[in-house]
Amino acid sequence: MDQPAEASRPAGPESLQVQVRSLAGREIVFDSEGFLSDFRQWTEEVAGILAQESGLEALTDTHWQVIRFLRDYYLQNGRAPLHRELKKGTGMSLLEIESLFPGGIKQGARRLAGLPNPKTCGQS
Amino acid sequence: MKKVTLTINGIRKQFIVHPDRVLLDLLREDLRLTGAKQSCDRKGQCGACTVVVNRKATRSCLAKVADLEGAEVITVEGLGTPQNPHLIQEAFVLSGAIQCGFCTPGMILAAKALLDEKPNPSVEEIKAALRRILCRCTGYKKIIEAVQLAGRFLRKEITPDQVRPDPNGPKIGVNHPRPSAMAKACGVAEFSADIKVEGAAELAAVHSPHAHARIKAIHTAAAEKMPGVIGIMTAKDIKGTNRLKFVVADRPVLCNTTVRYIGDPVAAVLAESREQAVAAAQAVEVAYEPLPIIKSPAEGLAKDAPQLHSDWPNLCYSQPQIRGDAEAALAQSAFVVETDFSTQMNHQAPLEPEACVAYLEEGDEGEEPILVVIGRSINIHYHLGMLQGALGYENMRYEEAYSGGQFGIKIDITSEGLAGAAALHFRRPVRYIPSLTESMYLSPKRHPFEMKMRLGADRQGKLTGLTMDYVVDNGAYLSAGRAMIFRALYMLSGSYYIPAVKALGKLVYTNNPWGSAARGAGPPQANFAVESAMDMLAQKVGMDPLEFRLMNSLRPGQPKSTDRVVDQWPFPELVEAIRPHYNRAKKEAEDFNRKGGSMRRGVGLGTGAFGISMSGDSANVAVELDPDGGLSVFAAAADPGEGNDSMLTQIAAHLMDLPMSKIRLVTRSTERTTATGPAAGSRMTYMVGGAMVDAIQKLKSAMAEAKATTYDQLKAAGKPNRYMGTKKNQDAAAKIDPVTGLGSSFESQVHAIQMAEVEVNTKTGDVKVVKMTTAVDAGMVINPQNLEAQLEGGVDQGVGYALREEYVAGQTKDWITFRFPTVTTACEMEHIIRETPRNTGTLGATGVGEMTMVPTAPAITNAIFNACKARVRHLPATPDKILAALGKA
Repeated sequence: MDQPAEASRPAGPESLQVQVRSLAGREIVFDSEGFLSDFRQWTEEVAGILAQESGLEALTDTHWQVIRFLRDYYLQNGRAPLHRELKKGTGMSLLEIESLFPGGIKQGARRLAGLPNPKTCGQS
Repeated sequence: MKKVTLTINGIRKQFIVHPDRVLLDLLREDLRLTGAKQSCDRKGQCGACTVVVNRKATRSCLAKVADLEGAEVITVEGLGTPQNPHLIQEAFVLSGAIQCGFCTPGMILAAKALLDEKPNPSVEEIKAALRRILCRCTGYKKIIEAVQLAGRFLRKEITPDQVRPDPNGPKIGVNHPRPSAMAKACGVAEFSADIKVEGAAELAAVHSPHAHARIKAIHTAAAEKMPGVIGIMTAKDIKGTNRLKFVVADRPVLCNTTVRYIGDPVAAVLAESREQAVAAAQAVEVAYEPLPIIKSPAEGLAKDAPQLHSDWPNLCYSQPQIRGDAEAALAQSAFVVETDFSTQMNHQAPLEPEACVAYLEEGDEGEEPILVVIGRSINIHYHLGMLQGALGYENMRYEEAYSGGQFGIKIDITSEGLAGAAALHFRRPVRYIPSLTESMYLSPKRHPFEMKMRLGADRQGKLTGLTMDYVVDNGAYLSAGRAMIFRALYMLSGSYYIPAVKALGKLVYTNNPWGSAARGAGPPQANFAVESAMDMLAQKVGMDPLEFRLMNSLRPGQPKSTDRVVDQWPFPELVEAIRPHYNRAKKEAEDFNRKGGSMRRGVGLGTGAFGISMSGDSANVAVELDPDGGLSVFAAAADPGEGNDSMLTQIAAHLMDLPMSKIRLVTRSTERTTATGPAAGSRMTYMVGGAMVDAIQKLKSAMAEAKATTYDQLKAAGKPNRYMGTKKNQDAAAKIDPVTGLGSSFESQVHAIQMAEVEVNTKTGDVKVVKMTTAVDAGMVINPQNLEAQLEGGVDQGVGYALREEYVAGQTKDWITFRFPTVTTACEMEHIIRETPRNTGTLGATGVGEMTMVPTAPAITNAIFNACKARVRHLPATPDKILAALGKA
């Protein structure tokens, strides 16, 4: 069974559409909620652009600490970390991380780190 | 009470029991002998609880312990252990007769009682001995073969070692026993209801008797005072969104203000025992205000229809597919078939109830406890995310238990939401083992389709155009409903090249039970229409249906109706492969019919080209080289019975040149696995197997680079021993044109042509399927028995779908009213297997699990037509419809 990419409300097929955008000189594929379709297309430059688009002026060292942990964890484990693993891995509180990224952990930090949409979990 | 002495598995014991205590409960609850299973609410319908009592196969749910004084009882645990199995257990494992394993203990014990009495039984005697035990996975063929093999073992004609493949020999294309099979054969594989949780309370739910109503009040006071009741939970007690959001957040864990189908859960009772919980659930009084009921998609689309969900229209999804000018093509066609078809709502019918266990586990110091949910999921990471949102609790782990079949039903959450919410609310471990009727209420169904179509051909018989308008009854909640629409479209042209297509699929909310995945999920419904129309058109053209299909086969370089051009299409070869069988069957039918009389025999064909791996699909698998040189595989690769453990183990052993015993699968827990996506869509071999191949290639490259052959050498070279592999559909960026619906499609296809031979009683309308022959090409075969087992189980389900099965809300409540296929309704089956290596496949393999029932229903209705000229266009093809088509109704 295939699960279409998430949409805020059911509608026509356009809501299932992936988006192809030209970022940092490359064609990057996003799902309908702005998550990278392929985590391997992520670069630090892509993260920077997505951060600016989400309202962050710049990514600080603290942001990068979270993003790097998320990516390392994903590349090692093939899934996003649970909150307790994120807390332990970064040494930061959840509140701290939530407030660092517009959209919080699941819709913010994970999106900037190029992890798949939490709702699609490795598929779209 | 009564004192009874029993000898169970050779141990004599006294029991003092209530006169109504049945043997099944004594075995499972008091002695923890959980090999005997329970599916049918102790009605004696399923036989999963069969044990041997005084040398006779006995349904232990019907046997009162008080009546068994002095009896000798043998359960599957007493027969043998995985280390020292009985020859019958060995025979079941080596025959490939074990899929989900839920019916296996009962089957094995019935076989023992038979073989003790008749060492060399005939097939008819085997069928008679097994007639009361249901199996949904196997189509019974391999079970019969297992009993025959067991007889040979017991008669010392052959030994298991002579049958067992060399574990050190080739790994691919060989029937190595499934790694999980022996645990299932010996009754030690724990399904959700078998898991003992100390101090667990039991849950029962209150379900709506109305299809659409407003909840005015829920009165729980009387129920709360009943014996054993711990508490009653309603929507207000759920801390999260209370919405199980598969795609949209429309389905509540517990309904708050409105119920939308018969069975919608309204409240949950937790009590010390299941009986107490059920009694209290019946005492919960819910005041409903009935609302207008949307009974059909037509009613849902009517202008004055009430809107079922305030946030979404009743027409919750629609998608067109337009390629070329189908109207013009049909207008110019020499032959056109124009007609309508419909398919029924159906239950996927896994034997296991929708069981689940949930409890809180101590977390790290200062952390909130971990909510552990053990259940039936085939997509544990996705379902974990759904539960986190619905219950408002992050610190969770989902574990997949052994799962008693699924066939699509487990694509979405059912009992887990209630059990998890109750464990959090009451801070008690919870077991939720719903009855069969309750499981039918809780779970999603196969969507009914209504289809209007036209199919045209030119004078030579070449297909010219197809139009198809189909409306799908989504039921009350969306779940995976949209996928039914686009999957039906993406496989619409089936095996053929159709130059012009105009189709529109509509999905409509109604107050019927909610639909979701069901084996094939969309294509079995649409293909019934297309393949029926193919026969009707062949007749108009004046061509034999086989030649007509062959002539119209898609060829490499041509596009499917999605406009995707294919580079491989090994379908014509399958048509040629089945041709001699077809000629034989037609001649036999002619000879049969020459005798005259009311019994008529017919031969019918159906085909399928089933797509695997939708654009955007991806899977991750991690592997670790272990210190002893073995390989651990980490992947949430659920295995509710298909044999994914075989697939991963045999491929890994082959690539690593290791014995199978050194491949260690870690697949069941969200904490230890990668996210692989669902065990659905026939995608496991292609996607998850492919991701594992990628991971192993990375490990082997690292070992080659380090010149390492061992774990120690690899580590000494400073290289990691863990590698993650990914398989990603190559069409990640493919888009669907919103106007034409063209552009996106499945990456790989499995092909089949199926032939049904049926006998129709033209006086009664009864149909007997004499034989089903399937020619299939699923690429390279990793384990032939597993492939055949999918074919056989799928055909059996397809026959049930074609002739008998239907879920009618409020009426279908158990396996009798469902008309579950038995060993006595099972037909003879033959397979022709071709192996065309797939360019993008996993070691050349694609998938097979769903395709196997896609052609079955039309093959059977085409055969019915060819037997007696009765064309059935509305499934199931019950006797009344056949008589009506014969003008005898």
